[in-house]
Amino acid sequence: MTAHEHLDVSGLPAYDISNQAPLWWGQLIMTAIEGTLFCILIATYFYLRLSVDIWPAAGARLPHLSLPTLALAPLILSAFGSYWATEAAKKNNRRGMILGMLLNLVLSAIFLAMRLFEWHSFNFNWASDAHGSIVWTILGLHTFDFVGGMIETLVLLIIILSGRYGEKQRQGVHVDSVVWYFVVGIWLPLYAVIYWGPQVVGTPL
Amino acid sequence: MIPEVETPPKPGSPAPEDTSQQERNELEAAWKHPGEIFGWFSVTTHQAIGKRYIITAFIFLLIGGIEALLMRFQLALPENTFLSPHRYNQIFTTHGTTMMFLFAVPMMEGMGIYLVPLMVGTRNVAFPRLNAFGYWIYVLGGIFLYAGVFTVAAPDTGWFAYVPLSGPQFGIGKGIDFWAQMISFTEVSAMCVAAELIVTIFKMRAPGMSLNRIPMFCWGMLVQSFMVIFAMPAVMLASTFLLLLDRTVGTHFVNPAEGGDPLLYQHVFWFFGHPEVYIIFIPALGMVSSILETHSRRGIFGYPAMVLSLVANGFIAFGLWVHHMFATGLPQIGEAYFTAASMMIAITSGIQIFCWLATIWTGRLQLVTAVYFVVGFFFIFVLGGLTGVMLAAIPLDLQVHDTFFVVAHFHYVLIGGALFPLFGGFYYWFPKFTGRLMNETLGKINFWLVFIGFNLTFFPMHILGLKGMTRRIYTYQMEMGWGPANLLATIGACIIAIGGIVFLANVFSSRKRGPLAGNDPWEAGTLEWATTSPPEIYNFLHIPVVHGRYPLWTAPMEPIAVTGMRNDRREVLVTTLMDAEPHHRYVLPGPSIWPVLTALAVTLGFAGSVFKFAWYFPGAILAGICLIGWFWPRPPLKLQP
Repeated sequence: MTAHEHLDVSGLPAYDISNQAPLWWGQLIMTAIEGTLFCILIATYFYLRLSVDIWPAAGARLPHLSLPTLALAPLILSAFGSYWATEAAKKNNRRGMILGMLLNLVLSAIFLAMRLFEWHSFNFNWASDAHGSIVWTILGLHTFDFVGGMIETLVLLIIILSGRYGEKQRQGVHVDSVVWYFVVGIWLPLYAVIYWGPQVVGTPL
Repeated sequence: MIPEVETPPKPGSPAPEDTSQQERNELEAAWKHPGEIFGWFSVTTHQAIGKRYIITAFIFLLIGGIEALLMRFQLALPENTFLSPHRYNQIFTTHGTTMMFLFAVPMMEGMGIYLVPLMVGTRNVAFPRLNAFGYWIYVLGGIFLYAGVFTVAAPDTGWFAYVPLSGPQFGIGKGIDFWAQMISFTEVSAMCVAAELIVTIFKMRAPGMSLNRIPMFCWGMLVQSFMVIFAMPAVMLASTFLLLLDRTVGTHFVNPAEGGDPLLYQHVFWFFGHPEVYIIFIPALGMVSSILETHSRRGIFGYPAMVLSLVANGFIAFGLWVHHMFATGLPQIGEAYFTAASMMIAITSGIQIFCWLATIWTGRLQLVTAVYFVVGFFFIFVLGGLTGVMLAAIPLDLQVHDTFFVVAHFHYVLIGGALFPLFGGFYYWFPKFTGRLMNETLGKINFWLVFIGFNLTFFPMHILGLKGMTRRIYTYQMEMGWGPANLLATIGACIIAIGGIVFLANVFSSRKRGPLAGNDPWEAGTLEWATTSPPEIYNFLHIPVVHGRYPLWTAPMEPIAVTGMRNDRREVLVTTLMDAEPHHRYVLPGPSIWPVLTALAVTLGFAGSVFKFAWYFPGAILAGICLIGWFWPRPPLKLQP
């Protein structure tokens, strides 16, 4: 037996930080699952709207549009922090990763604080009526995702700060941005439904 | 083909002798399972996890089967008192729930987890630890449901738990909460499997296995996985938001007094529930194709048509859900749409059936046990499809809604469409799982018992349904005249049970004493047969290079295999999505205890929330801590070179 021609892959890199990486694909699929869940929640919102005459219930008060709209600014900007970190992760630029994630965390903390503050303005909760149930379910689920994403970024930041990191952790920074783009991006339609919904499909005053 | 003096060996076969033993030792060391009990919980190889899925799901099949027998005993005679009405309600609920959520879907996933990496020519699934986590969460969900059944309360509102019957007002006791939360467990598990199988099939195929060369079973698993992604969130929403939150924290999703709507639950449930049927039987269609092409000694007839009809099935499945709700008084124009969409399924299914028939016709069919089960599948599935087309017509549906006609229909499509191919697949791949062939004589006895028993059990149910016997009644009066058909059905169920015992006997005796199979007992064409039976823990000594749709039937071409991978760690090759050209190497994580710990933390949250919502918080915090442990960097940190 002599050696047959083989496909030698020893020259290929042992990792990749791009949309060719399996981890990136896996994260994309996880966001597809979450996205489907939110889409069905939006459908539920409008379905429930159709089954009653008065939407939301008389006396139900949502926060003034200004605060949630203003809160979009730090939220959208936080995605640029993620982008910065992910580009730095590709180039193995430790400082860029740290600054990007730090920017992300600061801006998302501001957004979270604004959200918690605006929650005081709701005069109904999930047990008030069907409108309250769907609104608070969407808010609760998105906040859960949001805080989860923040913790993920925080843990990655600590790992990168510690200096004990390798290619896998840089890949982590890369896919963490996929999570964050999703969390930010999905909020835009959810924001529109929750805050503009009553204006558009609500009962005319 | 001109014979050469020295033909290159088949793909995946060993390289020249001198280095291969050393390579084997290295791979063995890199992939071996950790020892001891602690290690048993840390295993992350797809073969081990796949086998665990298959065995666990089979145990649930036995449990669900025993429940079915209990129901048949109760219905064998008019005004029978074998089971109390309440017990009967509990048993039909756990039967349906067990079969759908704890047997059928996990069983198909187990087959996929075991076979897909072998078929696409790689060493493991893309996310081995997620795979382990998915298994543990599935087992814990099953244990959780039955822990509820045997302690607190069993659910008794049917496998789809319609509100308001299951809602806070009428659904008394904790049984329904256990049911609702069990859904969360199994769906999380299914989503984990879907994600890892899609990425495995998309990004880890052997070089040369372009999209148009993917084995049919992998196409089945791919379509199924995409359906899981878009269908399963709906059932989680239905069970844990609409139902469980209404029951535990007082939301009003399904409470009409506060603006909710009970029909919403049905919509969301069936938006999952109908695709669920296809989630179960599309992998089975892949199995049928694999068995037929091997045993007809030719590639599948009309590969593109087969693939496209599988994909089309996946899409159409999402447009059918309202045909479960024709009796709810929805607008007729909407119902008419769903009738048309339901009938469209007959087109894609028809294409598949004709392609299989053409495969048999133009090939040389070997009548082994696996093929018996495939032919049985044709017979039963086509009958189930015909009653399906009947049920898609609204007038007929309204007439037989919630009768035994429907019970007969869905057992024809589910047992015919999923269980028969699964049995066939089991006979077909058993040599790969164990290294030994199953006994053909016992196999054929097994087939005839199950086939005859099945038709005896379920065919009379069509007639019972047309005569007006509603499903889920625990007994009936003598004067109804339903006695003989019911007795026949019970006798049939006993025959199926005997068939099941024969199958088990065959498995246990063949596993020890069956004839040795060798690598490729059926002379099949796909890559799982290129390696030893059972496969080495690392699947292939060298990742094969593929030059055709059926690598083992294609004339050998160079290059035959991949070299240059590092064998001292769990390295796999990532290839491009379309053409499967090598892109980079990828180091998979090794064994870890964290997936099972994370699953336990999630279980704490899910199980506690049945009693008090606040249990979610300690569950989430502990799960978060476990996830940090899971992903914490461990040396060696540098992957290059």
